[in-house]
Amino acid sequence: MKKIADIALLLCLAAVLFAVPALTLVKTAHNTVSYYENRSLTEQPELTAENFWSGEYFNDWDAWYADHVPGRTTLLALGTAIQMDIMGKTVVNDVIVTQDVLLPFLRYGTWDTGIYTDKAVPIADGLQCLSDYVEGYGGTFLFVGLPEQSNYFWDKYPHELDNRRWNATAADAAFYGALEERDVPYLDMGAVYDREGRPDEYYSSVDHHFTYYGAFAAYQAVMDELNRTGINAPVLSKSDLNFRELPNPYLGSRNRKLYDLWPNSEHAVIAEPKSPIPFTRTDNGQTVEATVYVLPATNTQRTNYDLYMGGDQAETVIETNRPDLPDVLIVGDSFTDALETLFYASFDEMRSLDLRYYTEKTLPEYLADYHPDVVLCVRDDTAFYTATGNGAVWN
Amino acid sequence: MVFSSVNFLFAFLPALLVCYFAVPRRCRAIRNGVLLIFSLAFYACGGPKLLGLMLASIVVNYCGGRLSAPGKKCRKTCMVLTVVVNLGLLGYYKYANFFMENLFLLGLPVAIPNITLPIGVSFFTFQGMSYALDVYRGNAEAEKNPFRVALYIALFPQLVAGPIVRYTTVAGEIADRRESLSESGSGAVRFCQGLAKKMLLANALGQIADAAFGAGTLLTTSMAWLGAMAYTGQIYFDFSGYSDMAIGLGRVFGFHFLENFNYPYVSRSATEFWRRWHISLSTWFRDYVYIPLGGNRCGRRRQVRNILTVWLLTGMWHGAAWNFILWGLYYGLLLLGEKFLWGGILEKAPGVLRHLYALLLIVLGWTLFRSESLAGVGAMVAALFGSAPAGLWSGETLYYLSEFRWELLLAIPASLPVGVWVRGALERRERGGSRPASAALILGPRVLALGLFGLSVLSLLGSSFNPFIYFRF
Repeated sequence: MKKIADIALLLCLAAVLFAVPALTLVKTAHNTVSYYENRSLTEQPELTAENFWSGEYFNDWDAWYADHVPGRTTLLALGTAIQMDIMGKTVVNDVIVTQDVLLPFLRYGTWDTGIYTDKAVPIADGLQCLSDYVEGYGGTFLFVGLPEQSNYFWDKYPHELDNRRWNATAADAAFYGALEERDVPYLDMGAVYDREGRPDEYYSSVDHHFTYYGAFAAYQAVMDELNRTGINAPVLSKSDLNFRELPNPYLGSRNRKLYDLWPNSEHAVIAEPKSPIPFTRTDNGQTVEATVYVLPATNTQRTNYDLYMGGDQAETVIETNRPDLPDVLIVGDSFTDALETLFYASFDEMRSLDLRYYTEKTLPEYLADYHPDVVLCVRDDTAFYTATGNGAVWN
Repeated sequence: MVFSSVNFLFAFLPALLVCYFAVPRRCRAIRNGVLLIFSLAFYACGGPKLLGLMLASIVVNYCGGRLSAPGKKCRKTCMVLTVVVNLGLLGYYKYANFFMENLFLLGLPVAIPNITLPIGVSFFTFQGMSYALDVYRGNAEAEKNPFRVALYIALFPQLVAGPIVRYTTVAGEIADRRESLSESGSGAVRFCQGLAKKMLLANALGQIADAAFGAGTLLTTSMAWLGAMAYTGQIYFDFSGYSDMAIGLGRVFGFHFLENFNYPYVSRSATEFWRRWHISLSTWFRDYVYIPLGGNRCGRRRQVRNILTVWLLTGMWHGAAWNFILWGLYYGLLLLGEKFLWGGILEKAPGVLRHLYALLLIVLGWTLFRSESLAGVGAMVAALFGSAPAGLWSGETLYYLSEFRWELLLAIPASLPVGVWVRGALERRERGGSRPASAALILGPRVLALGLFGLSVLSLLGSSFNPFIYFRF
C-alpha cells in the first residue's frame, strides 16, 4: 500500500509539474491584460548583456511565467474565495470586505496633514487662473468636489481599520480653504450629501464611484448653484425622468478585485427624460450613436460604471440644438461620466474633456475656441492634489 | 532562483527530473554531471557574474583538499592558505562594505565600495572550508575527481540557504547512491511541507512582522509583541521550510542531508535552543572554531573567551551589521550565564517556567536580529517593555490578530512536534492491529502534502515577491 501511495503521490505531483510548462508551451495566444487585476500582464523579457549578467533576465522570465500560467485567473479566483469564504479574512486583495460594502484597505500610517496647506497652493492657483479666465469672457466657473466612495462611507470601516478620516478631513479643508482664499467658486458635494443625510443609496457598495442616485443629487445641486448665479437652464427633477434599474449584475471596481465573488444585489440604474431630448454625439471628433448609455447585449452580462457615456472619453460633444440654452464644458475624470448623462439635458451644447487623454489643445486654448457659458471642473477628493491630468487645468 | 518560484517549480525542476532520470542509474558520473550542470545553472540564475566566485571557491577547495591531505608536504601551510583564501573571499564580498562604512563613520577619508553580496556565499564558503579542513584532519579523503568536489559545493538543494552539509555526510552518496521510489515519495512529502511552511505561514507572519518593525511612530506595545512573535514564527518557518525543501529534494536525488532543525521553540534554555536551531551552523562552529580553541576543556577564562568568540563569529556570519553582532553576543552572554551563573537554578525550575524563559529570550533575540539598526533595536525593545511611541494598544494590533488568526493559530502546532506525537500514537495503534491507523500513517502525510502543495501554488501565484530570509546570509 505504501508503494501505491508513493506512486500516486509522485504521479499527482509530476502531473502538475509537467502540465504547467507543457500547457504554457502549447498555449498559442497569451493574454496581455489581466481583467480582474486591471493591469497589463508582464511581457516576455528581452535579452540584453546587462540583464543577463545581473540575473534580471531570469527574474523577468519568472514574472512573465507567473503571469501566464494556464488557468491563472481561475486559480487566483480560487485563492480569493478561500481567503474570503473559508478563512474569513477582512482584507482580501487589498479590499475590505464588510457586511454591506466593499472599501479600499488603507495602510496604517501617519503624516503631518499641515503639508496640504502648501500642496493646495499650485492647484488652487491653477483653478483661480481658469476661473478668472472664464469669468473674463463672461462665463461661469464652478469647481465641484465629490467625495470618493471610501470617504463617503468612512463610517463603515471596521473600527480596527484606519479609514484615514483624519487625513481626508484635513486635506479637504485645506483644499476648499485655498479655493475660498482665491474666490474660486466651488461646491462641496460632501457637505451637500451630509445635509441630505448621506443616504447609502448615493454611493456604490462595490465601486469607487457614486450610484446614479448620487450623480443625480450632484447634478441637481450643481444646477441649483448655477441658476443661483444667473444661468437660466432647466433642471431635471425626478418626475421628469424614468429611472430604470438594469437587470444585469453590476461588477464594480472593488468587487472586480475580488473576482466578482462578493455576493451583492446592486444593479446599475439609468434614467431617460420622459420627454426625450434629441441630440447628436461626437466622441474625439467622430460622430457616434446618439446615446448616453452603452448597455450590454443581454440581461445576464455584467455591467460596470463605464456603461455611463461608454466610459472615459478624451472629448465628447453633445448637441441638442436648443440655442436659447447655454453651453457647458465639463472637465474631469470618470466621475463626470454619470453626470454627463444628465447635464446634456440642461444645455444646448455639452462638451466634456478628460485631460488625462485629451492632448490636442491646452484647456485655455480650448476655452478660447469655444467660450462655453459654463465651465465645470469635477474632481473627487482623492484626486484633489493630483497635479497631472485633470489636476493640471492651467499648465 | 528560489524554490518558491514559478521558474523553479514549473521549469527548472521538471527539466532536471527529465534530464536526470533519463540517464540510466548505472551511469552515475553522467547523472552527477547533469546534477552539477543544473546546480551551476541554478546559481547562475541569480546573476551569472557571480558564478565566477562559486567556481573559484570550488577550485580553491579542491586544490586545498588535495594539497592538505595527510602525507603531503607543507600540508599545514596549504590548509592555512585555503582557509585564508576562503575567508578572504567571504570578507571581501560580505564585510568590506560594512568595514569601510564604519571607518567612514569614524571620520577616516575612505571610499565605501559598492560590492554586491553573492547569494549563499556564507553557506558555500563554509561548506568548502569544512571539506578542506576535514581532509587536513584526516576525517575525509581528498577527492581526486574535481567534479565531485564541485557537485558537493554547488549541489543546488542546499547551495544558497543551507543546511551546511559536511563532505563526510555526502561523499559516499556522491560516488554511489540509490534513488528509490520510497525515498522520492518521502522527499516529495518533505518538500511540500517545506514549501507550505514558507508560502502559507512564513509569508503571512512576515506581513505582521513587517508592519510592526516598520511602524515607526505608530508602534504600540501590543504591536511590538505581536510583531516580535510573528517574526519568531516567520524566521522559523522560512528557514526550516527551506531546509525541509532542501532535504526533500536531496532525497529525491538520493542524498541524505542531516536535519537542520529539531523543533527549536520547545527549548527550555538558550543553550538547548542552539542545539535545536540551525544545527548545521552551530555544529560547524563547534567543530571548526570552538573545539580547536580549546572548547570547554580549559580554564574558565578561556572558556568565556571561546564562547564569546564563537558567538561573535556566529553573529557576524549572519550579516555585516551591528545588530547581528549584538545578537551574537547576546546569545554568547546568555550561554555563559546558563553555563556559569543561573544554569543550576534553571534546571530546578518547573518546565513551564523554563519554556517561558527560553521563549522570552528567543523572541527578544529575534527582535535584535530583525531590527535594521541599533536605533531600531532600542525602539523595539523599549516598545516591548511598555515605552512605545503610540501607547499600549492600537486597532492595528486587533486587525493583524484578526486578519491572520488562522496563520497565527496554525503556527503554534506547526512549530511543535505535533506530527511526531500523532505519528507515534498511530504507530502504537497500528502495532495493536488497527487498519485505519495503518492507512492513516500511509495516506495522511501524502494527502496532506498534495493539499499543501496546491495551496502553496495558489499562494505563490497570488504573491509577487517572497524571498527567503536566509538568502542574504
